[in-house]
Amino acid sequence: MADVSLRDVKKQFGALSVIKGVDLDVKDGEFCVFVGPSGCGKSTLLRMIAGLEDITSGALSIGGKDMTSVGPSERGVAMVFQSYALYPHMTVAENIGFGLKMTGHSKAMIAERTAAAAKLLQLEPLLQRKPGQLSGGQRQRVAIGRAIVRNPQVFLFDEPLSNLDAALRVQMRTELSKLHQDLKATMIYVTHDQVEAMTMADKIVVLSAGKIEQVGSPLELYHRPNNLFVAGFIGSPKMNFLTVNVTAGEGGKAVVSLPGATVVLDAGATTIAGGEMTFGLRPEHVDAKGKGDAQIQATVKLAEYLGSETLFFVTLADGSEMAVKADGLASQRPGDTITLGINAKACHLFNTDGTAVINGDLTR
Amino acid sequence: MTQAVSSAPGFWKKNQQKLAPWLFLAPGLLMFVIYVLVPIFQSIWISFHDWDGLGEKVWIGLGNYVELIDDEDFYTSLKNNIIWLVLYLLSIPAGLAVALFLNQTVTGIRLYKSLFFFPFVISQVVVGLMFTWFYAPDFGLFSQLLKWLTGEEVAVLADERYVTYGIIAAGLWPQTAYCMILYLTGLNNINPEQVEAARMDGAKGAKLLWFVVLPQLAPATFIAMVVTVIGSLRSFDLVSVMTAGGPYGTSQVLSYFMYEQALSEYGYRMGYGAAIAVILFLIMMIFITLFIVRMLSQERNA
Repeated sequence: MADVSLRDVKKQFGALSVIKGVDLDVKDGEFCVFVGPSGCGKSTLLRMIAGLEDITSGALSIGGKDMTSVGPSERGVAMVFQSYALYPHMTVAENIGFGLKMTGHSKAMIAERTAAAAKLLQLEPLLQRKPGQLSGGQRQRVAIGRAIVRNPQVFLFDEPLSNLDAALRVQMRTELSKLHQDLKATMIYVTHDQVEAMTMADKIVVLSAGKIEQVGSPLELYHRPNNLFVAGFIGSPKMNFLTVNVTAGEGGKAVVSLPGATVVLDAGATTIAGGEMTFGLRPEHVDAKGKGDAQIQATVKLAEYLGSETLFFVTLADGSEMAVKADGLASQRPGDTITLGINAKACHLFNTDGTAVINGDLTR
Repeated sequence: MTQAVSSAPGFWKKNQQKLAPWLFLAPGLLMFVIYVLVPIFQSIWISFHDWDGLGEKVWIGLGNYVELIDDEDFYTSLKNNIIWLVLYLLSIPAGLAVALFLNQTVTGIRLYKSLFFFPFVISQVVVGLMFTWFYAPDFGLFSQLLKWLTGEEVAVLADERYVTYGIIAAGLWPQTAYCMILYLTGLNNINPEQVEAARMDGAKGAKLLWFVVLPQLAPATFIAMVVTVIGSLRSFDLVSVMTAGGPYGTSQVLSYFMYEQALSEYGYRMGYGAAIAVILFLIMMIFITLFIVRMLSQERNA
């Protein structure tokens, strides 16, 4: 087991700069998730840790040892690929034992470790089958088994669940979390699915255009996003953003004029310059019954009745749009007027350059 | 009325599902019967006769085969055919090597690939002519090279010790290109993530090739085997163009021997030629049967 640290790591393909300087520390035994939109460089960064892509500049160390230019098989890392990349001509047992065979372990040792991995992953009845005869979930487990037998210090997962159907994905998610608890190994996991990131991670790294936007625990990112990108990326449905006019009030207050209402936010020690800013509020923090520090009138444009909850997409007086998460018994229909209550403690305020000025952290 | 139609449909309607495949197969089947199956039996029939191609056929039973057993030229041809068969197989590893070498993304790789494939596109006759000049004493490149290296000149195609090997070398050129193309398509089908997984598993170089890449190229290897073995047994054009079987018939192969006996200026011995053809056919049948058995067993397993 080991920690992973990256120091100003960069990757360039010719003139194209893909990773633009990443500093990151993943602690021993941590489940770290890289998340970001497609093309943000998260897979490239993972492959650089794996040793499948060269590091153009910067330093990578695993377990305190410099691994910047060490071959992929000598880094003590194992990777589970998106396509699983099982060898189609080998049986499940041969697939799992291949890495050990290549590193010159004895047959008895290979058999013993393969059996142990198969037992952990419930693959025992499938050991003599070929990958072509397995279901998606079973193949996934074989790919994990192939990683486990090598006893790596760090596990790397490249979007491992994206080829599975929705039900299986939920099941494998819990299995992976359980595996992490059993093995207590450092795991780095790449996904574009923020639900996967939120449910499994100890630490989430949000990437965009080859740069780290924010690093933190799932709830930290949810409650205290550093900038507009993270605020918009984490949470579903995504946070509502409104362009608003702000004036500085007395005693560290920010007065935000919303369409049809004014809400006063506590800026704490932060000085508010005022002027045009971006106001952010999560759909689940808008009260559809009108309770809160300020009320605004809106018209329901679209409603999704999900049973447990109802999603309203509404238009405000100035035509701007918002999503509202109400409880499942909310009865408004498209065309109805609705009074929205806004809790000042849940509101976020961002500068024109996208950095957060006020984070409405409800946990405090 | 409508009931009568539905309860008693025409013959075509009733058997459409069964008949349609045969209708689609009919043109190919007809050609195969007329141009392949019937001639095989005709050849076997002719091989039991003494016939000059025009006159009366005279039944001599196994006479042609008895003569063949005592014919020294037959053994020369048979021996040459075996040399062809063994050495021609070199085109498979050679093709694999070239394919592995060319399976990369470099600017202009398509051009290099087509240049390597070129010898397969040009006619065997042209290949034969080019190698004849290549080996030619006095002005041939190979002769010059040999002279520069050893001080001696060897007329490859006029020397009964080297002539067959010289012709096979010419044959290997296009055949290697063919195997290369087969392997290149096979390499295309290998998932790059699998190669990466193998790298993470610690497989490098020869180990990676042997344990991960080659097993997945098995279908390509099989096809390469089939075309190479059959190609080596059919070798005729290069022998005909480069040496016409010479010197003194030492570079003959069965197909050329057959042609010479049946259709050349040495006489029109159709029966004898047919007997040689039958022997060649039987040798090919051994390989074809092996290939078909393997193919069928694979299909059953799949």
